[in-house]
Amino acid sequence: MSANAHGPSEALKGLVRRQYFWGIVAIALLLLVNLVKDPGYLAVSIGQSGNLAGNVIDILRAAAPIILIAVGMCLVVSTGGIDLSVGSVMAVAGAVSMEFLNGASDTVGSGLAAVGLVVIVSAALGAVNGVLVSVVGLQPFISTLVIMLAGRGLAKVITGGQNTTATNETFRWIANGYVLGLPVVFLLALLLALLMGLLVRRSALGLMLEAIGMDAKAARLAGVNRRALLFTVYILGGVLAGFAGVFATASVMTVDVSRTGYQLELDAILAVVIGGTSLAGGKFNITGAVVGAILIATLDKTVVFLGVSSSATPAFKAVVIVVLCLLQSERVRRMFRQRRAAGAARPAEREVVAA
Amino acid sequence: MSESLPIVEMAGISISFPGVKALDEVGLRLFPGEVHTLMGENGAGKSTLIKALTGVYKIDEGEIRIAGEPRRLGGTADAQSAGISTVYQEVNLCTNLTIGENVMLGHEVRGAAGINWRATHRAAGQTLKKLGLGHLNPKQALSTLPLAVQQLVAISRSMVAQCKVLILDEPTSSLDANEVEQLFTVIRSLRDQGVAILFVSHFLDQVYAISDRLTVLRNGRFEGEYRISDIDRAQLISKMIGKDIAALKSLDAKDSRRVRPDAEPLYSAKGIGRKGAIDATDIELHRGEVVGLAGLLGSGRTELARLIYGADRPDTGEVTLNGEQTEITTPAKALARRIAFSSENRRDEGIIRDLSVRENLVLAVQARRGWARPLPRREQDAIVEKYVSALGVRPADPERPIRLLSGGNQQKVLLGRWLATEPELLILDEPTRGIDVGAKAEIQEYVSVLADEGLSVLFISSEIEEVVRQSDRIIVLKDHRKIAELEGGQGVSADSIVTVIAEDGLGDASADAAVREEVTT
Amino acid sequence: MSAKHRLAQAIGMTTVGALALGLAACGGDSGGDDGVTTIGFVAVGPEGAWREANETNIQDTFTEEAGYELKYAPATNLDQKSQIDAFTSFVDEGVDVILLSATEATGWEDSLKRAQEAEIPVILLDRGIEPNDTDLYVTRIAPDNIEVSTAVADWAVSAFPDGANYFVLEGPAGVSVVNERNEGFDAVAGAQPSLVKVGAQTANWSTEEAKGVVETVLKSNGNDIQFIFAQNDEMGLGAVQAVQEAGLTPGVDVKIATIDGTKNALTALAAGELSFVAEYNPLFGETALDVVEKVLAGDEVESSIVVPSATFDSPEAAETALPDRKF
Repeated sequence: MSANAHGPSEALKGLVRRQYFWGIVAIALLLLVNLVKDPGYLAVSIGQSGNLAGNVIDILRAAAPIILIAVGMCLVVSTGGIDLSVGSVMAVAGAVSMEFLNGASDTVGSGLAAVGLVVIVSAALGAVNGVLVSVVGLQPFISTLVIMLAGRGLAKVITGGQNTTATNETFRWIANGYVLGLPVVFLLALLLALLMGLLVRRSALGLMLEAIGMDAKAARLAGVNRRALLFTVYILGGVLAGFAGVFATASVMTVDVSRTGYQLELDAILAVVIGGTSLAGGKFNITGAVVGAILIATLDKTVVFLGVSSSATPAFKAVVIVVLCLLQSERVRRMFRQRRAAGAARPAEREVVAA
Repeated sequence: MSESLPIVEMAGISISFPGVKALDEVGLRLFPGEVHTLMGENGAGKSTLIKALTGVYKIDEGEIRIAGEPRRLGGTADAQSAGISTVYQEVNLCTNLTIGENVMLGHEVRGAAGINWRATHRAAGQTLKKLGLGHLNPKQALSTLPLAVQQLVAISRSMVAQCKVLILDEPTSSLDANEVEQLFTVIRSLRDQGVAILFVSHFLDQVYAISDRLTVLRNGRFEGEYRISDIDRAQLISKMIGKDIAALKSLDAKDSRRVRPDAEPLYSAKGIGRKGAIDATDIELHRGEVVGLAGLLGSGRTELARLIYGADRPDTGEVTLNGEQTEITTPAKALARRIAFSSENRRDEGIIRDLSVRENLVLAVQARRGWARPLPRREQDAIVEKYVSALGVRPADPERPIRLLSGGNQQKVLLGRWLATEPELLILDEPTRGIDVGAKAEIQEYVSVLADEGLSVLFISSEIEEVVRQSDRIIVLKDHRKIAELEGGQGVSADSIVTVIAEDGLGDASADAAVREEVTT
Repeated sequence: MSAKHRLAQAIGMTTVGALALGLAACGGDSGGDDGVTTIGFVAVGPEGAWREANETNIQDTFTEEAGYELKYAPATNLDQKSQIDAFTSFVDEGVDVILLSATEATGWEDSLKRAQEAEIPVILLDRGIEPNDTDLYVTRIAPDNIEVSTAVADWAVSAFPDGANYFVLEGPAGVSVVNERNEGFDAVAGAQPSLVKVGAQTANWSTEEAKGVVETVLKSNGNDIQFIFAQNDEMGLGAVQAVQEAGLTPGVDVKIATIDGTKNALTALAAGELSFVAEYNPLFGETALDVVEKVLAGDEVESSIVVPSATFDSPEAAETALPDRKF
């Protein structure tokens, strides 16, 4: 492959070969559609106190919680598992922080304490998932389904079934503040995604997770400690979902126990798939998951911007996603490739190279 | 019984796969009312032949006649309509249905208003009775039965389908002695009703207990068809492995090497065992010594190796490593104690297909360090460079996904993976199976070098000659237990091992005792 | 309400929610023969402050002292199936009366017919059903959504004599409340050419979603929106935050009207952030009790009973009402 590199055109081809390429294309197309409706769509103005404002900024802000749960989901999926509980963990995180801040003073300290509390609680929920999957040996689907149902119940217990509201400027700043003109919430999401990326790729965590996801038996015989790794990965997923819950509730300083994070696990799974990580486990792509999350946020915002009627919204989203998945499918891509490469013979990768 | 016309006659059957001739002019005759055993080592072509008969594989050359009529079997449905029925190792029944429903599935008794369940269950009961399974209640849920009995139900089902030929592919591999006896009762009553039964098993005792006739295959060729009374165990084994007794005897025992009997053993286990896998066994392994595990497939070779490595958890036994008592219950623990194990199942338990050669090589070392302490790229490169060149992995591109390498090179990478953990004890289960001759020789030679360097190697192979050639000491296993331990260089040959296996269980205790005596000297 | 009581109730709600079916199925002996009237309440469960007030009020009315045993079965996550299951087990169990607050309007025919066959009267609380077959239930007790939303529209007409661009934050598509609130509002506002509807979107009754929707809608209309009609208080409060963040002043640049009249909304109205709050009175336990007694006595009742609701159009009105607000 390296032998026939021809500069930029090859680099472009490399990008096209990336699974999340079509996610980027889809984002661009959605932005284009919005641009057709309103030529000023992409404009970013400098609002009050020097903060950037504009539709694009809104998208980034809306993408932040999805980015976090998508990154967590990506790691879980790479082990061949799935985490259906992220939405409920978000609700629990919101409930814990709002209930705590409701009785606390409006200080920086209590704002940070709320975040700390969320980390502890969401890590504990992740740990329950981890124990159910790795020690008890339940299927991830079932284990996390249990937490998905129980978690929302727990959130209701914490707030007494109400939608709790609180006031805390620090906490509110997390979702509504700006640093260097950019929304804090997006910077934080990006930072956490970057940290996770570094964690898995700079350590051997990524390799170990992929090994488990690709071939659990072989990985075990190679001495990979599946149990500890699964435990770790579900805790990471839980904590990331906890942060996503903070983002979602801090935005309006209200937790809505039946709505916060509702069905967001599906958005996260979609983002992971769009990002080119197979639900069968194995190779994962955190950048792809981030692209997928941004795509979903763009899609949500586009629906509102275009004024698609409420009843048609699910259908509109479904169509976009089906088209995207079709474009990503190996088979469909091969069809395209064959059509394009008709004539220009392409050397096929040989399955076996003689010894 | 053989005087009647054969119900199945396969003649001159050849099947080729890309690069391999799996069957080369093989013949097989099955007569009504006989149990016919298909014998052969792994890769001899037994399952290919069965798949040809059940219509799974198309034959390239040759002819299949069923009841005298030439037939083309284009698929499993063709075979079934010709009255050929198969019961696989993995029982495929519907466990949520009743016994009766399973027996009669697809042949339910129909009345005016759909299926008459009472009559269906009655018919099932009659079928079960005919096979000596009258004690089973057809209305009981199948899931309540042990697996072995479920298998018997699967066999009864083929009765309902009025099959003329029943193929039983290793039906006894997961059964205990009682269950085997029950199975044989059913098989005999089927035989007495005129069904031709094709039986495949690796257990010699069972073969002699149930068969009327057998066909031996070797390397995809027909070796011969014998009445069971005309061939003894030693002859049978020599037919299977392709050396006649005289030739085996003439094989020179090589010089004893490397053994240091005085030294304290590196690894020693007393009474290590696991229910259903291997009986309690004692084993000692020394530094600088290659110990071979010999025995037919299913004798417990792999099972013993897996216990030593902790891949399966031993039920019993005490393990001493380097003079210290220890417990090895997981592969991770084994690796931490410098024991490495290369599985016979290279594809599913060895390589990780989608990872690169480099990643596959460093995986075990990395696993031992833990994910939080990544192996620096420099050290990875050093490992890759060392083993890719030392073992001659081709192509020498470490970033290539390992699935794109040939079997032999995959095996070399795996060997490198285990050696990179710097083991003191290396267990190699069938390291040379299914790889080409060149790679095989390279790996064999490398194993000897390793032992010379002081490594303790436990070597398992289904090729007895290979075990003899490689090993300083040979532990012979049969039917899940250790039956002998032979020192190398004392006239040990493939022949003497075959004799030990053949004579064990004949009631000839003296032969056994003689061998044991030989060990102690 | 003491915190302890609230916590106890919360635990009650979740566990009862989960166990209701099981208990209901086992409670075959709880007929009305021991002088206690058994009421099965197929409820919506945690949804917001309004629902909380409504269902607590019902529970506080049908007490043991009053001679009732109320079986409370909230839906799990607003799922209609869990409601149908609870309804069916109440029928099987043979309760005396079923109170139903349906999460979704459609799909109730079969369940209601079963109740009819078992001669169990069904009283709809708040939410209606579609198609609205009055033979299938005794009566529907509810504040009139059409009336309430008409009040909002009437206010809008008078508040914007020079006209306005307005946007509607709806509840989930397909819910009868949403349809009715649209109907009443559109009948008046749609007839007023000076009021221009720039769009409508669902925010699923959620503050967070409403904030996100309004944020984008303001941009897509260049902030040229003077009036937002939020179909519940929570969404209205989300709209307030989005308007503030866009650098506009709610109540001045953009007037926001909501329906429900919860304490939070009245507080916002008192602070001038909301401009109009139409109450959708949740406290109709007394009315329900009255109806149940009549039905059990065999008296005729109207097929629709409207609960009277108030409106609040100024900070002063809100301040007056706040101290007594129960929800």
